[in-house]
Amino acid sequence: MNALSEDRLVDLVVAWAKQNTRKGAAVGLRIDKDTDLIATGLLDSFGFVDLLVYLESEAGCRVDLIDADPSEFSVVKGLCRLALKNHRADEDGNGQLHYR
Amino acid sequence: MIGEKKIRNLIRGFAQSAERFAERPALVVDRERLSYGQLSCKAQSIALAILKTEEDPYPLAALLAYRSVTAYAGVLGILASGKGYVPLNPKFPIERTRTMLLLAGCSTLVVGTECLRELPALLARVDRRLLVVLPEVAEPMSLPANFPNHRFVFADEIPSANGLVYPTAVDSGAVAYLMFTSGSTGVPKGVPIYHRNVRPYVECICDRYEVTAEDRFSQQFDQTFDLSVHDMFVAWERGACLFSVPERSVMAPAKFIREQQLTMWFSVPSVIGLLSRMRLLSPNCFPSLRCSLFCGEPLLATQAQLWQQAAPHSIVENLYGPTETTIAISHYRWDADGSPRECVNGIVPIGWSFAGQSACVIGDDRQAVAAGNSGELCLAGSQVTTGYWNNPEKTCEQFVRLAGMGERLWYRTGDLVQQDERGCLHYIGRTDQQIKIRGYRAELQEIEAVLRKVCGTEEAVSVPLPSSNGSTEGVAAFVSGTAELDSDRILSSCRQLLPDYMVPWKIYSVKELPLNANGKVDRSQLAERLKGIPE
Repeated sequence: MNALSEDRLVDLVVAWAKQNTRKGAAVGLRIDKDTDLIATGLLDSFGFVDLLVYLESEAGCRVDLIDADPSEFSVVKGLCRLALKNHRADEDGNGQLHYR
Repeated sequence: MIGEKKIRNLIRGFAQSAERFAERPALVVDRERLSYGQLSCKAQSIALAILKTEEDPYPLAALLAYRSVTAYAGVLGILASGKGYVPLNPKFPIERTRTMLLLAGCSTLVVGTECLRELPALLARVDRRLLVVLPEVAEPMSLPANFPNHRFVFADEIPSANGLVYPTAVDSGAVAYLMFTSGSTGVPKGVPIYHRNVRPYVECICDRYEVTAEDRFSQQFDQTFDLSVHDMFVAWERGACLFSVPERSVMAPAKFIREQQLTMWFSVPSVIGLLSRMRLLSPNCFPSLRCSLFCGEPLLATQAQLWQQAAPHSIVENLYGPTETTIAISHYRWDADGSPRECVNGIVPIGWSFAGQSACVIGDDRQAVAAGNSGELCLAGSQVTTGYWNNPEKTCEQFVRLAGMGERLWYRTGDLVQQDERGCLHYIGRTDQQIKIRGYRAELQEIEAVLRKVCGTEEAVSVPLPSSNGSTEGVAAFVSGTAELDSDRILSSCRQLLPDYMVPWKIYSVKELPLNANGKVDRSQLAERLKGIPE
């Protein structure tokens, strides 16, 4: 079982984005934790939902966007922080989430 | 012309509201709040700048701006100058924007600061001398030096708003706005909407939904989408406030609706599905809404139910109307008890045409069909324009006279509908290859024309991605006749020529395209093949 940290989530999201962004939009564009996936055109709204589903599936946690600002969760690290923040209930005794 | 009939200007309602409600908020955009008085000043300044500096008066002026003060003041300013506006979109490829600008014939372009990145590439492609008005740009920058062929007016040269009287009446042949839709020949089609078309719509809608100065309107649509005209001019007609949805919130506007306490919502139905998938639609999460309107693509019964639960104090209506018939021309009010039984194929009816507008369902022989039979929907009335911009051939195809209907001109929508015994219209599908991609109208032929060009083969077919509701998320392409397929290069080239929503998601190379019994490309087989291809 791999401990899940923000860095680990960022890696997952960046890897997914590199493979799943549409129409070669990622060509020549560096994707990292500070990348705004929407503003850069890497993902449209439907692509973002796909990413959300993937993130929840991989992390085994639910990402609640109900009170989040879109400018926060459209950036890779913002989305990952939200995933961690919203699911502290899943934390174990070591204070870490676990990767399925 | 002496004695020519005068028509109320689209801007008339705003002009009256600016007098009556000078201190009330007219617009909230990009964290800035403008009163009617402030917005009116900006609009008048733009109008005066155009009128004082244009060298070759022309009835249309273009606007390149995006969700900014200039985007709204620019629309009003152009109308206040007595011209019709032609919205351009910085998100579209430059080549498409150039085509739209040239087809429109504009020699005046109002530009927002948010579009300065796109402006040089556009100016470099336009040979015609342009008057470029930049109301929010103080520094001349390098534009005049780099583009001496064009004339620039920067913020410090913009006249003060004193002295302009709004033209509240215009000639009956005056265009209010010119929008471009996807064209099957590969070139966008211009749809001119006249003041005489749009005024009846605005007045009808204001009365129908009892709009007041207390209302708070969403403004979700890009200005190149004609539904944006509803947001702006229905709100301003009655002194209400318009809330421009920031681009990032367009994707997930739930928080925006709650924070801004919106009372009037207008969007494509896809937004409902998206919010639902993001779990942002809970019961009573939008208690402030009193009126929710959906248009641009089929509204599913499941979507209407979800929205009604989220906005329990709101009426939910399905509006329908192609750009040619001015924003929307028919309506159906959702009723949680009775409506589910009235849906055909799970799609909410498009209902009945507005007062003063007419609908007729015709068969292949162009004769009206009996109730219950399906046929092509034709529309006529004061909201229906008379033809395409400088395109008599396409106009003759789509704007026709029907047997037994006198001299009245009918617009053939290409939409397949059924009319039930009560006269209620039900959307069934399309008679041609036009599709809706998240509400945006797209002709498969236009996508294919671009594919043929960039792939260097005549054998290119685009197919909508599998969808259950008549509105798809995008298209895929099948290409044959090329030795090697460089998918990345092709898609990159497509992005230079097509708006984002029309660019294929994927391109598949096939040995040969399947043909049906008539020797035509078998699109349904390709669609089936697409369903079988793993993600």
